[in-house]
Amino acid sequence: MNRIALVARREFLTTVSRKAFLFSIFLMPLLMAVMAVLLPRLLNSRSPEVSGEIVIVDPTQQVREPLAQILRPEALAAQAEETRRMAQEAANAAIANAAAAVLRPPQLRVVEAPPPGDVEAAKRWLSEPAQSARRIAVIAIAPDAVERQSGAAGFGGYELFLRSNLDNGTENALHNSTRQALLRTRLAVYGIAPQDIAPTLTVVRPDAVLVGRDGEQAGNRVFNTMLPVIMGFLLFMSVMMGGQALMTSTIEEKSSRVVEVLLSAVSPLELMWGKLLGQLGVGLMVLSIYLALGVFWLLQFALFGLLDPTLILWLLVFFIVTYLVYGSLLLSVGAAVSQISDAQALLAPVMVLLVLPMMLLQFIGIAPNSTFSVALSFIPPANTFVMLARMASSTPPPLWQPLLSLGISVLAAAGVVWFAAKVFRIGLLMTGKPPNFATLLRWARMA
Amino acid sequence: MEQAVCARQLVKSFNGNKAVDQLDLEIPRGAAWGFIGPSGAGKTTTIRLIMSILFPDSGALQVLGCASAFAARQRIGYLPEERGVYRKMRVDEFLLYLAQLRGVAEPLARQRAGKLLAQLGLVDVERKRCEDLSKGMLQRVQFVGAILHEPELLILDEPFSGLDPISVRTLKDMIRAERQRGATILFSTHVMAQAEELCDQVVMIHKGRKVLDESTQRLRRQFDQRRILFEPLDMQADVAPVRALPCVAALQINDNGYGNGYEARLREDCDAQAALQAIGAALPLVRLEFARRRLEDIFINLVGEDSLREHLQGAA
Repeated sequence: MNRIALVARREFLTTVSRKAFLFSIFLMPLLMAVMAVLLPRLLNSRSPEVSGEIVIVDPTQQVREPLAQILRPEALAAQAEETRRMAQEAANAAIANAAAAVLRPPQLRVVEAPPPGDVEAAKRWLSEPAQSARRIAVIAIAPDAVERQSGAAGFGGYELFLRSNLDNGTENALHNSTRQALLRTRLAVYGIAPQDIAPTLTVVRPDAVLVGRDGEQAGNRVFNTMLPVIMGFLLFMSVMMGGQALMTSTIEEKSSRVVEVLLSAVSPLELMWGKLLGQLGVGLMVLSIYLALGVFWLLQFALFGLLDPTLILWLLVFFIVTYLVYGSLLLSVGAAVSQISDAQALLAPVMVLLVLPMMLLQFIGIAPNSTFSVALSFIPPANTFVMLARMASSTPPPLWQPLLSLGISVLAAAGVVWFAAKVFRIGLLMTGKPPNFATLLRWARMA
Repeated sequence: MEQAVCARQLVKSFNGNKAVDQLDLEIPRGAAWGFIGPSGAGKTTTIRLIMSILFPDSGALQVLGCASAFAARQRIGYLPEERGVYRKMRVDEFLLYLAQLRGVAEPLARQRAGKLLAQLGLVDVERKRCEDLSKGMLQRVQFVGAILHEPELLILDEPFSGLDPISVRTLKDMIRAERQRGATILFSTHVMAQAEELCDQVVMIHKGRKVLDESTQRLRRQFDQRRILFEPLDMQADVAPVRALPCVAALQINDNGYGNGYEARLREDCDAQAALQAIGAALPLVRLEFARRRLEDIFINLVGEDSLREHLQGAA
């Protein structure tokens, strides 16, 4: 068998047969599943029930009663259930459960603080050490909160005083309840029943329907905004998996000194290509597994029609060139240092180059055809990430753009592979102080 | 005879320091050549140049009739000084991988590996991981890796370092067997006695330059006529009659590893043969001989003690 193929085969088999690798390949999907199933339960069980007393200072004499009604634990619980139901309609069960967990209603008791109507006295009450129950908040309604003062454009509101920081859920419950009580009271002043006004203010927002030659299809806003990010993420993950393994295996060969034995049998260039191709296989395998999982998931939810199959092809092609760029860089880092701890300094800039496009992806998703997005989709090494995200967006670029971007990437990959070959050849037998990038460039010129 | 290795005026510098300086080398096919010199003398660099792992700054090199070892690498076996293995790989897989890289088909490689491992006293290690083997075992495994493809030229860089005496002996036997098979052997060592024992010819290197290129046979014939070694039948016996001989300048107990005995240093002007006979007549002896010049002595003679000390300090 060809020597390059032999090196590639060993590299591939060694990497994929490692337990740590198999673990990390399935770690990501597993984490997502755990997040969806376990997290809401954890949140639920972890959030302790908030219970305590609050004081309502109400100069209008009209808000206190309805507000106390709304703050009753049963009323708050009913409201949380309603929110959960609405969330379930809008999104999936996991998010709804999470929402319900956060909305676990507090047990509040409305009490009187002597003398009634005095905000300062109520605040003193709040700050005094409590004998029995926990003192939580004072809600002070403005005198003009229900009826406008003559000549004023708007109503007065309320003030909320807290004893200590509350969790978001309870504070929101206080705000929402006060708001509701105020609205009801104001409407009552005008003689309007709340159940009459609520439908008037509600307009249901439908999902857009895509009308194409093949018929109509329900659009999915979540899917459309997520797809560019998912594509970028798949590219990132598979490049990382292959590239990382490439670096560590090279460092291992150097630090275990097996490299000199290898170099007596293969040339440095053969060794480099063998390793590059072996880990390319690893990356392709990772990518295929994730793609298969993704397609399976889409089929489950009958959403497969939303995905343009040529996009998968582009993803594979872009993966190969992106992998060659980052893989070669990581390979030269591996060849330049003698142990993994020395790699950090050289690794940092490569990682920045790899993570930066990922961080930009959401902006690309919002404006896929802005000057910024278009320009970035031609500048390596970010171009493949950005171009893929643009192609996955709802307004994909014309075909010449991805082709041009691919051409640029091929040139970039050729350049980086050339650089890596030089560094690889010199670095393999170097031991001692790890070089910096300037030294690497000198090596590249030297070899 | 055709040369296995032929080097002309090799020069290699690292950051301005000449590691190898105008080195000429001719190793005939089938010979066993020893490369000796202190650490840092340039032995490993020369070997790496021969192996095309490094490339000379100037000079010409021919290996097995090819312009470089690069073209002949399938016919060369190499055991580098910095020996390494894939720690997580199984012994048989590692050996098979090396053999396949050198163009040996899998079934043949397996068969040879089993045979050679058994010869080296390594039984039931094939399925073990390299990291589970002791250092001595690993070194023997690596030696098997170097000869699995039956190379025409076998280059061994410090093959005995770190081995126990039994492993050293087994390895020496294997090297002799390789030589009988017809392989040319080149090995480096800083233990002179090993070179004397195994080599036809010894090349000494100091500061990258060749200071000696001589057959071991000729070296062995070089005796030191001013030093006589003798061992009395009874080591407790009184040696005063020897000390009293007019041609003996000094007498001391000899402890140079050649066994118990005394070393008599002769005066410059006396007849060495007559002195030998006189000592033999003075005491009942079990051994009486002129001291042989050892490679160590020759080496120190050649480079001078000061230069060597300076060199070693520089290396440290």
